[in-house]
Amino acid sequence: MNWDAFLFGSSAALALIGALFAVSLKNIFHNILGFALALVGVAGLFLTLGSDFLAIVLLLVYVGALGIAMVYAVMLSQPLDTPRTPRSLPKIAGSALLAALVAMALWLVIRRAHFPGPPEVLEVAPQWIGRRLLQDYVLAFELISVLLVVAMIGAVMVARRDPGRRAPGTAAGTAPRPGAPR
Amino acid sequence: MSQLHWYLLVAVLLFCIGLYGLVQRRSLIAMLIALELMLAAISLNVVAITSLAGGDAESATGNVSSAGQVVAVILIGVAAAEGAIALSLFVAIQREVQSINVEDLSELKG
Repeated sequence: MNWDAFLFGSSAALALIGALFAVSLKNIFHNILGFALALVGVAGLFLTLGSDFLAIVLLLVYVGALGIAMVYAVMLSQPLDTPRTPRSLPKIAGSALLAALVAMALWLVIRRAHFPGPPEVLEVAPQWIGRRLLQDYVLAFELISVLLVVAMIGAVMVARRDPGRRAPGTAAGTAPRPGAPR
Repeated sequence: MSQLHWYLLVAVLLFCIGLYGLVQRRSLIAMLIALELMLAAISLNVVAITSLAGGDAESATGNVSSAGQVVAVILIGVAAAEGAIALSLFVAIQREVQSINVEDLSELKG
């Protein structure tokens, strides 16, 4: 077994085991850790494809930013020991059956598809990606920047407490503000 | 099986594990995790196909092998924006109804 196959196999195993942890464990915090493990595996797969830059971006954005944001959301939203209602067995079996059917359908399509050979020039260096982003795909690049700014501002707007709203329990509009003229 | 098929097999399995999680879990955060797994599987697909089978599929701007990585970078950006919006919505929902179980969020049913 050569080095490439070993790297591919271990990354794929890491990705799939992490993904199984991410969807099957009961504790939501363990799910997030499994998600991070799965993304480390996917980054390893990118490395075996020669896309070092993409692997680092994936680690930074998914594992670094998104994983931490999820941990924060869990800490803000729900105590970890809240009892969860278990799902019934037929529903779990139905979900597994659906996923297995989709996997089989996709695999049949892939087996029958004809793929051309590898490209003559493999452009994987970061400067190629930069050149593409700022020349051929500059519109998509700018749209992504606008999207990220809008998402950031929108996230702050949605998640912040509305200062004009009253606390639940007090009837709206009955209690005059302190200091307001009668 | 060729090298490409191994990558595509891993991507299919990852995608379907994510699909299973999306259908089976009832917590909004767990569903977001499953959705992000599916997105990661898709970007793995794009990068694997363009760097292992981009041979005679020349794009309008030349060789396609780095175009796949550009698509993957854009996918990661969209996933980050989606995750930020989704998590802030979950925090707001939790503040409003004290639950992030999707079965408690059925006010729009009428």
